[in-house]
Order: sequence, then C-alpha cells, then structure tokens
Amino acid sequence: MDIDVLAHGIVAGSLYALVAVSFNILYRPTNVFNFAQGELVMLGAMIFASLTSLAGMPWLVAFAGTLVAVGCIGLVEERIAVAPILARSQTGTGWVITTLATSLIISNLVGRFWGPDPILVKPPALLSMDSLDIGASRISSYEIALVLVTLVLVAIVERVYRTLKGKAVMAVAEDREAALLRGIDPGSLGRWSFFLGAAFAAMTGVLAAPILYASTSLGPDLLLKGFAAAAVGSIGNNRGALIAGYVIGVTEAVGASLLSPGYQEAVIFIVVLAVLLLKPEGLFGSPNARTV
Amino acid sequence: MKATVSLPLLSATNVDAGYGHVRVLESVSIDVRQGRIVVLVGRNGAGKSTLLRALSGLNRPTAGKVTFDGRDITTARPNAIVDAGLLHVAEGRRLFRRQSVADNIELGRYALRLTEQEHDRRVDRIHQLFPILQEKMNLPAGSLSGGQQQMLAIAQAMMREPKLLMLDEPSLGLAPVLVDQVFAAILALRAQGVAILLVEQLVEHALEIADDAYVMQNGRVIASGPAAEIAAGDALQAAFMGEHGAPHHPEPRQSGS
Repeated sequence: MDIDVLAHGIVAGSLYALVAVSFNILYRPTNVFNFAQGELVMLGAMIFASLTSLAGMPWLVAFAGTLVAVGCIGLVEERIAVAPILARSQTGTGWVITTLATSLIISNLVGRFWGPDPILVKPPALLSMDSLDIGASRISSYEIALVLVTLVLVAIVERVYRTLKGKAVMAVAEDREAALLRGIDPGSLGRWSFFLGAAFAAMTGVLAAPILYASTSLGPDLLLKGFAAAAVGSIGNNRGALIAGYVIGVTEAVGASLLSPGYQEAVIFIVVLAVLLLKPEGLFGSPNARTV
Repeated sequence: MKATVSLPLLSATNVDAGYGHVRVLESVSIDVRQGRIVVLVGRNGAGKSTLLRALSGLNRPTAGKVTFDGRDITTARPNAIVDAGLLHVAEGRRLFRRQSVADNIELGRYALRLTEQEHDRRVDRIHQLFPILQEKMNLPAGSLSGGQQQMLAIAQAMMREPKLLMLDEPSLGLAPVLVDQVFAAILALRAQGVAILLVEQLVEHALEIADDAYVMQNGRVIASGPAAEIAAGDALQAAFMGEHGAPHHPEPRQSGS
C-alpha cells in the first residue's frame, strides 16, 4: 500500500477526530447529540476565511474572534433549542429535531450570506500546503502540524476532565440527580459545554480550511464522518474518538485508492456498521467510561 | 438572619409534593431543630423519600412552605439548597461509581472555596470517622462494599460541613456490624452539632438513637413527638399494621428516578 495514502488518511482522520471530540464535549454533561455540529465547523471555517482572506485580519486575532463568535452561537443554540427541551424532561429526545432544525437554519442563512464558492485559506505563517518530499510521501508541513496539533488538543481536553469542573461534568454524565445533590449545577455545566464544544467545532473548521477550503458545503460531510468517529470510538470517549478518527480516515483513503473515489463513503459506512453490529457501544467501552 | 435555638433549623409547613401529576405528600409539616436526630418512619410508599426529595429541591413542593436556617427554600434550586447547608444523601447512596473514592470526596466540595488547611482538616475528619476510606482513596467508588459506599456518601456531605444532613435508608442492604458503624457515625455527627433527618427501615434501632420522630402514612404525618414516646405509642403500630384504611399489601416503592 502507498504510504502517501496512509498519511492522507491520518490527516483526514485527525479532522474527523476533532469533530468527534467536539461532539463529546457537548454530549458529556447534557446527553445531547448536537446535529448542528457540522454547521458549527463550517461556520468556523467561513468566519475565519472572511476575517483573514477577505478582511485581512492577523491570523491569531481572526482565530480568537472566530472561536468566541461560534461559541456564542453554540450558547444561543443551547438556550433556545436544547435547554427548554431538557427542562421538560431530562430523558426527552426532542433535541434531535431542534438541533437538526438549528443545523438547517444555519445552513440556509449561511448560503444567503456567503454564496457557494469555496474560499482559499492560507495556513498560518511558517507553514505551507506545498508538499514536502519525505520519502514516498507528498505531505505538506501544514498537514504534519495538523496531526500533531490534534494530538495536543485531545491531550488538553482530557486534562481538563481531570480538573474538579471536569470531574463534575463526568459526575453529571453518570448520574445527574446525584450531581444535583452534591451542589453541582448541571445547567451551568451544560451551557459551558455548549460554548466550549461549539468553539472547539469552530477551531476544527479553522484547522480544516487550508486543506478542504472554506465552503458552505463543509458541514454535512464533517458531521457524518465526525459522527462515525464518535460512534466507533464510543460516544463520550475522546481517546476512542482519536483512534476511530484515524480508522475512518485511513479506511476512506485506502477505499478511495483501491476502489474508485466514488465508493469512499460507502466503505466508511460499511466499517462503521460492522463495528457497531459487533460492538454497539463502540470500540472503547461503555459511554462516558473513563479510560485510565 | 441566623436561626436561634428556639427556632427550628428546618421547618416544612403544609407541604404538598409528588411526581408529575401524582401527588404523594398531602399537607406535611415537620420541624428539625439544631443538633437533633429526627427520624421519619412509616411503610414503603408512605412518602418519606418524597419528603426528603421535596426538601432538597429535587421534587419542588406544589404547595406549602419550607424554611431552612431562616431562609425560604421552597422554590430554591437543589444547588442553592446544598449551598445553604442542607445535604441529602439519597437512597442507594448514588455515588459516582466510575470515579475514585478521592474524586468522590473532592466532588463533595464542588464550587466551595476552601483554604488548603480547611480542606485538609475536613478530609482528616472524614478519615477519622471512616478510617477504611483512607485505605481505598484510589479505588473506584463502585468497587466499595455497600457499607463503605454509605460511608463515602456521608463523607461527601461532610466536605460541606452541613447544618442538616438528611439520610435516606442508610442501613439498606448492610450487614449488622456495618449498620452499627453507620449509626455510630450519625451519633458522632450530632455530637459535632449537625442535625440529622433520618429515614430508616430499622425502626426500633432508629428510634433508639433519635431525639424526635414523625410517623408517616399515605403521604401524611399521622403522629409526631419525642422518639421515646413514639416508640411506645399506638401510631407506630397503626402505620405498620395498615389501619386507617391502608391496604395490607406493600405498596410499590417510590424510587423517583
């Protein structure tokens, strides 16, 4: 097998893992699976592209601005589309419809605002999308950086869950009522998680933009593959999401090179279905399980 | 406003509460005074657990009034009630089973700002009262025995130095020797000035250590008074033998979750 195919699978897989982690951040304290997550990733890419390529803002300023803006959109989504449903019943599933609706609203509004043309986004200074010639691989310095940054980000997220606030989130995930009786406010943790999960999704969009271009059609594709990574890696488990992201990225790349590129999505879903048929809870244990 | 000795620490007046549209409690009134052990007795389904859930804000009362330490907490959120110093150790301990014993204890002080010395002092007190927990700090809470889990649940509450601790069936499923340990811990907490509101199926044992008692039946309080008087009175018999038109078969347990 071509080493290049593997390398590009890992790069794509890193992005899927990041989307999956953003799902998990939201899911842990709320048990809500945010179907608007793909559009939040897209919004991250589009806002960032507009701020840098069109408005000419410095990379870091645009990056911070994008994260805060999309984080706030996530918070608004939580207030309008999720909190009222959970207030009625913690086990209600109405959020499936409301988060899907949020996704459609964002997608339609964005289409009016930006139009269908993809925007080219340059990597930050010192990195480039030009391929380096390392052995047989044609990978770029930006792609290598992306893979490393993904590892660091997952490590940071896991570190956050070792703080008392993070442990409280895990406590809410395990037994919401028991958490209430210890003075933990699940509502506040849920709002924070929506803000941070949305900001994380936006960051994923920013990181993906130099590779995939910023385009309004980014959402559904990353939603599906990110969901696949989250499900295969066991929902709520970030290290599982990382491994599963790689599995899906590599499967996709190998499938596209062996078969025709037209089959690459079919190959992914065959893998996902096979894993979930054999292990419905995903490869890495029960939901919310701590892997220590 | 500070509660004085004459004012009860906790006072529930004519409280109605239940689950959704099902009303379980009808006009329940109880008082708990500072540093006292108060026991609630009655058959399964009498509404004891529902009363504790209403007091801790899990099931908001639909009528009546609850005051704690001079504050109206009738419609307060559970975390505000915890912050006020009213702690509820629910039936079945409800620990975070996947997290370590140490993490569970730390979660007991969530959102509380403690100096390092104060934090260590509280942990030391827990270890003094429950030495066994000290040996198990790094194990998952789910791996503890039932008795140890009960101790851990009380330890979590102790991190906040509650004014009033409500315990729902702390002896449930425990071997007699562990029951004695848990009851000894309850007495030790009272000696430190903590008031205790106890729901207990070991009625005789509970009445022995309690100062005051309430007998509940079908969502109402049918008798109250000093524990020794209740232990000797007829109301207890009535509550457990099913007079007052109550059915003889045991009613389904209120689990509430």
